[in-house]
Parts: sequence; structure tokens; C-alpha cells
Amino acid sequence: MPNLEHPAYPAAALLHLEGLVPCRESQVSMLLSIFGERQQFSFPSIFIYGHTSSGKTYVMQTLLKTLQLPHVFVNCVECFTSRLLLEEILIQLQSCSCETEPTSPVPCDTFNDFVRLFKQALVSRGLQDQTLYIVLDRAEQLREMEANILPAFLRLQELTDSNVTVVLLSEIVWELFRPNVGCFDPLTLYFPDYSIGHLQKILSQNHPPEYTADFYAAYINILLGVFYMVCRDLKELRHLAALNFSKYCEPVVRGEANERDTRKLWKNIEPHLKKAMQTVYLREISSSQWERLQHDGGEPGQLKGLSAHTHVELPYYSKFLLIAAYLASYNPVRTDKRFFLKHHGKIKKTNFMKKHEKTSNHLLGPKPFPLDRLLAILYSIVDKRVAPTANIFSQITSLVTLQLLSMVGQNDQLEGPRYKCTVSLDFIRAVARTVNFDIIKYLYDFL
Amino acid sequence: TPRNATPEIPRRSHAAQKPASVLEEARLRLHVSAVPESLPCREEEFQDIYNFVESKLIDGTGGCMYISGVPGTGKTATVHEVIRCLQQAAENDELPPFQLVEINGMKLTDPHQAYVQILELLTGQKVTATHAAVLLAKLFNTPGPKRKTTVLIVDELDLLWTRKQNVMYNLFDWPTQKHSKLIILAIANTMDLPERIMMNRVASRLGLTRMAFQPYTYKQLQHIISSRLKDVKAFEEDAIQLVSRKQYIPRAGGMTARVVIMHSDKMSGFSSVWHNVAALSGDARRCLDICRRATEICEFAEPKRSPEIVGMAHVTEAIDEMFSSPYINAIRNASLHEQIFLKAILAEFRRAGVEEATVQQVYHQHMALCRIEGMQRPTVSEMMAICSRLGASRLLLLEASNKYLHMRVRLNLSQDDVMYALREE
Repeated sequence: MPNLEHPAYPAAALLHLEGLVPCRESQVSMLLSIFGERQQFSFPSIFIYGHTSSGKTYVMQTLLKTLQLPHVFVNCVECFTSRLLLEEILIQLQSCSCETEPTSPVPCDTFNDFVRLFKQALVSRGLQDQTLYIVLDRAEQLREMEANILPAFLRLQELTDSNVTVVLLSEIVWELFRPNVGCFDPLTLYFPDYSIGHLQKILSQNHPPEYTADFYAAYINILLGVFYMVCRDLKELRHLAALNFSKYCEPVVRGEANERDTRKLWKNIEPHLKKAMQTVYLREISSSQWERLQHDGGEPGQLKGLSAHTHVELPYYSKFLLIAAYLASYNPVRTDKRFFLKHHGKIKKTNFMKKHEKTSNHLLGPKPFPLDRLLAILYSIVDKRVAPTANIFSQITSLVTLQLLSMVGQNDQLEGPRYKCTVSLDFIRAVARTVNFDIIKYLYDFL
Repeated sequence: TPRNATPEIPRRSHAAQKPASVLEEARLRLHVSAVPESLPCREEEFQDIYNFVESKLIDGTGGCMYISGVPGTGKTATVHEVIRCLQQAAENDELPPFQLVEINGMKLTDPHQAYVQILELLTGQKVTATHAAVLLAKLFNTPGPKRKTTVLIVDELDLLWTRKQNVMYNLFDWPTQKHSKLIILAIANTMDLPERIMMNRVASRLGLTRMAFQPYTYKQLQHIISSRLKDVKAFEEDAIQLVSRKQYIPRAGGMTARVVIMHSDKMSGFSSVWHNVAALSGDARRCLDICRRATEICEFAEPKRSPEIVGMAHVTEAIDEMFSSPYINAIRNASLHEQIFLKAILAEFRRAGVEEATVQQVYHQHMALCRIEGMQRPTVSEMMAICSRLGASRLLLLEASNKYLHMRVRLNLSQDDVMYALREE
């Protein structure tokens, strides 16, 4: 195991740091060597990228905190305008070398002001002789701000003429950041994904005190065996581990098995975990519901979950409007005559089915249709006479606001609007069943 | 600070140096800001404008004149000279006295600020734009017993354009009022500006008194330079002629200019080559700039030689510096992979027959070229870096970088120029 070493920092702090960041030794030692000693100049900007939960934020934060380097940590999602971002940096900078009383926030509208105030703040806090780190988390948000913000942060060291390093953390690669007019390229660092061994090591680290470490490690092993295929996200796995542990311990608590009885424990937990993948992992059932279920000893999966609630109560004509819209969206126009005209004469099935059409319309998604076609199909499928009252038309627009239909090309509201139907087949079949309409018979794809 | 302080810039600590050599003297005289007492080759225009203003002054009426011409043809200088002569005449009591107001569209932050400026120059009041408009309208529309005539020079007229054109309308409407006694000299670049951007009622108020400044011919440019260097012997006669003739360069990328120059090196007599190139741009400012640059080159080239005189070679170098396109040099000095990338773009254009390609397509060509040359192939990230570097130096025209491999690439110069730059080793 490579030990972290750096002449500038006390060995005890480094040892402590090493304990805090498992499986990230090489990245941390790389960062340490880039940072150098306090008074030394570091890179003007460092760009760190890696997957979700590969420890970018955590490593950066622990590193800066443990070594007590002066730093400013800002999340760019919270500071969604440049003004908020710049003011936040200045505010944090004021409280950086603590001891001083909180001063009133300074208004800072432009980057020009920021550079001036930043230099003032550095001098007044006595931070000139050591490197100040500005960490911008979720740096991809910087691209949404004014065009000058990102390039200016990349060369902040040059602009302020002071010892400052800007660290950008992001999940996307640097190529997608680079402005068209060019900029100062930062040093890019990659945080690789945790392997299964790393995950095992990290997850087994904080085992509950009432059980032994081996017992918990075995549990983590089973958990990873089930979930590693679909999920490598450390946060998600940790959450699942916390949720399902009580179920794993159940046989031990009840005395049916002891801690060494791995096979029995595995038999007990494995189907439970598989169920969890379909429910909790997809957030069908909320975590608290799942815990309550485990606590009460109920059968997992007996709750309906979020996605099963696809039943919507609609008025009679709205149902038919929705059915008509669905038919208009998924049937080709040339088949309308065959489906909806009562006495359409002879249309041979061979002519009517095109041979070369292989892909089903359901795979290609809904197609837009004009309002006239919707109304024509509506009149055809409703047996009674439908008067085109204001009610019918207002129901169409309210279906749009309910997002069951969507309007295509917002150009003209009154003159020939075009719609798309945005509901699924299961939903429309359920609706059709309530009005005794056999929708499958009218769908071209199922002929 | 005192309440009504006049703005001033800090004085320099040492006195300005007197020109030591002939070349420095020449440089001082050739400076664009050193406008001579009387403008050579603009006598006719001077007379026309003078007569116009003089007649209006004597009659005590108002009127407008529109002066147009491409940049560097002496419009503003001529107008200023006219005003200077008129002021002299007014001092000698040959003409009735008048008031001069000058605004420049480029110096105004907003077209409506024109009112504020005019009012301040006329009366010294400082008010808001809307209020100033009201005050000015009152001033010009009501008869004043002993009002002096006002001459208003409006430079860069096209920048006073607003959507409703009320600034222009007011400016040209005041002279038509009976008591206004306002003479407006409007200066702009395009000859057909009134027809193109003004509404009919504005254009008709501007009237038909117009004057177009033709670009200088090479003879005139030559005359201008020699008149500035009257008794300073710093330039060879041929060199001045070359500068004035070379004013016009066909603007078809760098190569054309370069090829022409290379040809000219081979020929013995310059004048015969340049005879074909008409002096079309006729910009006196650029002419003066080239001359000044040539004096600098001369000074640096031979510091020892005592009788310093700017020769043909210096002028050629200065012209080359000013007109040759930097693109070709940029391509020649680009890194190996950047050059291969440009070759790949050319190959892709030839393959597809369209002058636009995605980075992905160029990438395949690049890989193939690397394979042929036996070079190590760059990764996609390196490739994007190459591409955006070329785009940042404007050799390529790129879309926003967030499209990644689907970003479309176009050349910012002609394919021939790229080939020409890449071929020569």
C-alpha cells in the first residue's frame, strides 16, 4: 500500500487523511504533489472529472480540510447566476481565516469587480503568501453563465496576480467545456470508477458495532453479488446496504442461525434483495415504506408502487378523444378509410398491408396529426351523434394541459393545430376497456 | 475637487522631444492626425461646401447638406477646413457671425443623446434627452429677435438611426422651420443612405443637396504624400508612387496578394507591374500608415547609413506586412497533426463534394492519413483539442463545442489557400 508522503505536511495528518480516503491513494498523492507547499505556486486551474460518486467532492473536501489549506468550496448548482457565484466566493473568503467578525456581503455584479474585491480580500485576510483553493463543484453549470465566466476562472491566477488555484469538479469531459474562442487549458485529472474490490472495501468499513466485521463483510459481498451488475454507484449501494441489513440479521436475531451460517443467511436474503431491485431501487416504493414493510414482516412487493397508479378518471368524451388521438397517432393515414369508413367497398388486405414495412409504428413513437383527423375519427368511433360543441374543443385543450396530448409546433393555436398522443398502450387499453371499445382491432400494428 | 473643474489629462514630466532625424521628421508629418492647413486635391469639394454654407449664412436661412464618401477620403477634414475659413471670414466681418455645433454619432452612447449634446453645446444646460428635445424644438421653432445662425455638423449620421427615426427626423426638420437659421452638414459613408434607411419624410427633409467624395486616385495620393513631405527628403519618388498605386489590393485571400508580389519581385520595373492595379480603395489614411511603417522599417534596417532615405524595398516590405494574410503563415507554422487535420478536411471535402463536414468524418480521414504516414494516431480528445485550437485561431469555423463529434467544420479560407500553404515544404 503506498503511503502518502509529503515533506510540507505533518505525517500524522497525512496518515489520518489516508484513513479517510480509502482506494484513492494515488489520486490524493497526485493532488498533494500538484499542490506542493503552501507558499509554492500551483497550477492555475485543475479540472477533475469522473463518474457519479467516484469521490471527487469528498476527496477534495477532506484533503483541503485535513491539511487545513485555505479554500472556498462552492456548488455551482446552488449559485446559478454568475452574481450569486461570485458573491458566494467572496463571502466564504471573508470567513476563510475565521477569527474576524462576519462582515456585510459585498455586491459584486461583474467579473471585473470580482477580481478587484478578490485581491482586496486576499490582502486583508493575510492570505497572499499561501495558495488559496477555489473549488467549483458541478462545474458544468459554468457553461450556462456568461461566456466570460469560465475562461476567466481558468486564468484567475493571472488576472488577480495572486497565488490561487481553481479546481473544477465535473462529471463530463473537458472537451465539452472548451469555448469556441479558446481558453487557458487546465490540468485534467481523471478519477476512475471504483472496482468491485474497492466497493467491497469501502462499504465494509463502517459496520454496525453490534456485529462483527466479517459478518458485515459477508453481507456486503452478497449485496454486491446481486446489485453490482446494475449499479456501481457507491451512494446507492450504501443506501441499499443500510435498508436491507435488518432483514439479513433477522435469522440471527431470532436464533434460527448463527453468524457463521452463511448459506442459510444467503438463502434468506437473496430473494429479498432481488425484490428490492425491482421496487426500492427504482423508487417504486419509498425507502420508509420498505422499512416499515420489513418491520411488520409483510410480504415485500404487495404494495402497488408508484408506476402502478396509471388509472385516471376521465369524462366520457375525453376518453373517446384520447382513443381517437391514439389511433390517429399510431395508424398511417392511408388506413383510415379501411378502419373507420362503414361502407368502404373492397380494399384488399394485400394491397392495404404494405409488405416492406417492417418496423412497427409503436417503436417509432407517435406521429403528429391534424385536428380534423382527430375529429373525423372521433365521430366515427362514437356511435351516437356528437355535436362539435365548445365542450369538446375545450376538452382537447385540457387534455393537452394534462400532458396526455401534446401540441406539435406551437406556431398557430387556432389555424390547423397538430397534436401528438403521449400515452402508453397499456393506459389506452385500460381506458378503452372502460368504454367497451376494442382498440386492438383498430390498430394497424396488431392486424 | 473644485465644483466646476474642467477635465484635463496629467501633464508629462519631460518636454516632448524634437525630431532628431529626417525620418522622424517625416514620420511626424506623415501622421494621420497632422492635418495640413489646406487639403490638396479637395479644392472643388471645399468650394462647393463653402458656397453652400456661405449663401445660407448671407441669406439668413437654414438648410441641409449630405456629404458621403468611403472612409479616408477627406470628408471631415474638408468640412472642418470650410468651417475654419468661414469663422475667419466672420471675424473679419465679411460674413454674419454664426455658432458652431458638432456631434459625432460614434461618440454618443445612444442616438437620443444627440439632443443632450446639442443643447449643451448651444446653451450650456445639461438636461435629460426628452427634455432636451423639447427645449431644442422650442428654441428652433420660435422666432428669436437676434438669433445667430447655427452650423451643425453631424458626423457618422448612420448611427443616429432609431426604429422610429425621430432623432433624424427632428434634426432635418428644424432647418425647414422659418426662424431656425440652422445649417446642417451631415456626413456618412454610403451614398444612398437616405434612400436605404431613412423613411420618406426624413429623406425628403434632408433634401437633395448632396455631395459625394470620390476616392483618391493614385496621382492624388501621390500628391498628398509629397505635399506633406514638402521639403523633407525622406522618400524616393518611386517609393511614393508605389504606395499610392498599391492602395488597392484585390481582396481574395492572402495568396493572390502574395503571388502578385512574388511576380513583381521577378520583374525589373515596379511601375509597369502596378500600372494594371488601379488605385481603387483610395484611402489616404492607409496610404499614410504604410509610409510611416516604411520609415520605421528603413530606420531599423540600416541604422548606420547616414543619408537615410526610404527606398522601394522598404515600402514593399511595409505593404507586404499590411496586406498579406496571416492565415498562410499560421498554417505553415502549425503543428504536424494540425496540418494533417487540415489535409484531412480537404480530403473529406473532396470525398463528399460539400464544403462542410462533421468532426467524425474528418477524424476518419485523419486516421487514414496517419496510417499512410506511419504516425501515431491521436485519440478523440486530442483530436478535439486540435480542432478547437484551429477554430480558436479562426482557421476553421466551428459550431459550439457541446456537439462533440457531430460538430460541423468549415474552412475560413479557400481550399486553394490551404493547399498552397501545405504544399510548400
